[in-house]
Amino acid sequence: MNAMSRDTALVRITDLHKGYGPNIRVLRGLNIEMKPGERVVVIGPSGGGKSTLLRVVMGLEEIQGGAITFAGQPYISADGRKTRIDTEVRKKIGMVFQHYTLFPHLSVLQNLTLAPCKVVGEPRAKAEERGRAILARFGLEAKADAYPSQLSGGQKQRVAIARALMLDPQLMLFDEVTSALDPELVAEVEQVILNLAAQGMPMMMVTHDMWFARNVASRVIFCAGGVVVEDGPPEQVLGDPKEERTREFIDRVFHIKG
Amino acid sequence: MDYTLDIGAVTRNLEPLFQGLAVTLQLTVAANIIGITAGFGLALLVLSRFAVLRVPAMLFVEFFRCTPAIVQIVWFFYCVPMLFNVFLGPVTMGILALGMNLTAFNAEAYRAAIQAVPKEHLDAGIALGLSPTQRVLNIVLPQALRASVPVLLTNGIGTFQQSALVAIVGVQDLMYQGKTLATQTYRPIETFTIIALFYLAVSFPVSQIVGYLERRRGLAVR
Repeated sequence: MNAMSRDTALVRITDLHKGYGPNIRVLRGLNIEMKPGERVVVIGPSGGGKSTLLRVVMGLEEIQGGAITFAGQPYISADGRKTRIDTEVRKKIGMVFQHYTLFPHLSVLQNLTLAPCKVVGEPRAKAEERGRAILARFGLEAKADAYPSQLSGGQKQRVAIARALMLDPQLMLFDEVTSALDPELVAEVEQVILNLAAQGMPMMMVTHDMWFARNVASRVIFCAGGVVVEDGPPEQVLGDPKEERTREFIDRVFHIKG
Repeated sequence: MDYTLDIGAVTRNLEPLFQGLAVTLQLTVAANIIGITAGFGLALLVLSRFAVLRVPAMLFVEFFRCTPAIVQIVWFFYCVPMLFNVFLGPVTMGILALGMNLTAFNAEAYRAAIQAVPKEHLDAGIALGLSPTQRVLNIVLPQALRASVPVLLTNGIGTFQQSALVAIVGVQDLMYQGKTLATQTYRPIETFTIIALFYLAVSFPVSQIVGYLERRRGLAVR
C-alpha cells in the first residue's frame, strides 16, 4: 500500500444529508470513517436512517449534501442538485437486501452468473464453475439448477449472498437480511455472514438481532435522528453505552430478556 | 313450441361455415400479430419519460378502452376511406380495426406487467453493477413478458370473439356466413347454435391454456 497522503479509510462518509421530498430529512450530517477490515453494525430506532445509510453507500439513492469516498477514491458527492456516483467504484461494493431479490426467472446458478457474464464479461463456463464452487461452500450445490421459488427463505438469502460474492466485492452491505426469515432459518444465514467475517470481509450491516450484532461486529454505530449518536466496540455500545439515547434504546431492546 | 330441429340443414352446408371460420382465424391471427408487436411498442411509449411520446400513446389507449369495439369498427370502415381516401379490402380493414383495438389493450397488459416488476429487483441489478440497459433486458423484460403472456392470450381470444362484429360491415367471416345460412335455410336456431359451438371450440382450449399458465405462475411466484 502506498501510505503517503493516501486516505486509510475504506469508506469515508462526510456530512451526509439525505431526505425524501422537501419535508422528510432522514440523514442530517452523518459522518462515519470505516477502516479496512472493519465490520460495522449500524443499530438504532426505526426511521433513524440505518437502511437509508446503506442504500446511499450502495449508490442507490440521491443525496442532498456531503460526500463519500471509497478506498481513497471519490465515490459519491452532492453536486448542486445532482448526485454524482462513480459507477466503477460502485461495482466494488456488494449488497444483500431484506427481501432476497433473487431474479425469479433465472435459476440459482444463472442468478450467480448474470452479473459476472454481463458486467465483467467473464466466460460463462468459468463463471459457472466459480458459481458452483461458492454454492458448494454454502451447502447449496444441489440447488444450482433450482429456481428461487423452490427455495426456503434461508436458502434464498444464502444464494443472494453468494450472488453478491461472485463479483469479489471489497465491501459487503447487509440490510436486515434476516428480518424476513422464519426464526428457524435465521441461524443458517447468520452463519454464512459469520464465516465471511472470519475470512476478513469488510462489511456494514443493519440488523435488529443484537446477539448477532455482538457476535459479528468489530464496531457498532448507534444511529438516531439521522446522525451518529454513539460509535465504538460492540461490548461498549451494546453493553455499557455512554450516551443516554443509546442506553434507552438498548434497554428497550433487551427489556424482554429481563 | 312446435319446432322440429333439423341439424342437417346446417351440416349439409358446412363448407361456407368453414370458409367463414378461415376468415375469422385470419382476422384473429393477423390482429394478434399487430397487437402483440405494436402493443409492446405502445406500452414503451406510454411508459416514456417524455410527454410528447407518452400523452398521444395514452390517448390512443384510452380511446380504444373507452369506446365500444363495434363503434370503433363501424367508424373505421366508414370514416377512414372518406377522411383519408384510403380504400382497402374488407378483410384488411377488419384486421386493422381489430388490430388497433388489441394493440391498445395489449399495451395495457405490457405496461402493467412492466410496472409489476419489484423495484427491489432493479436495486439488486444496480448492486450487481448492471447498466440501465442490462437491467431492462435481463431483469425487467424477461419477468414482464412472462407475466403478460396469460393476459395477452386472454386479449387475443377476446379479439377472436370480437371479430364477429366485422360481419356487420360485410366481412365474410364465420358470423357473416352464419347469418347468410340462417336466412337461406330458415334455420336460425340450428345455425347460430353451431356457430356458437365453432367459436367455443376455438376459445375453450385457449382459455384452458391460460388457466394452466396462471396456476403455474401462481406457484412460481410464491
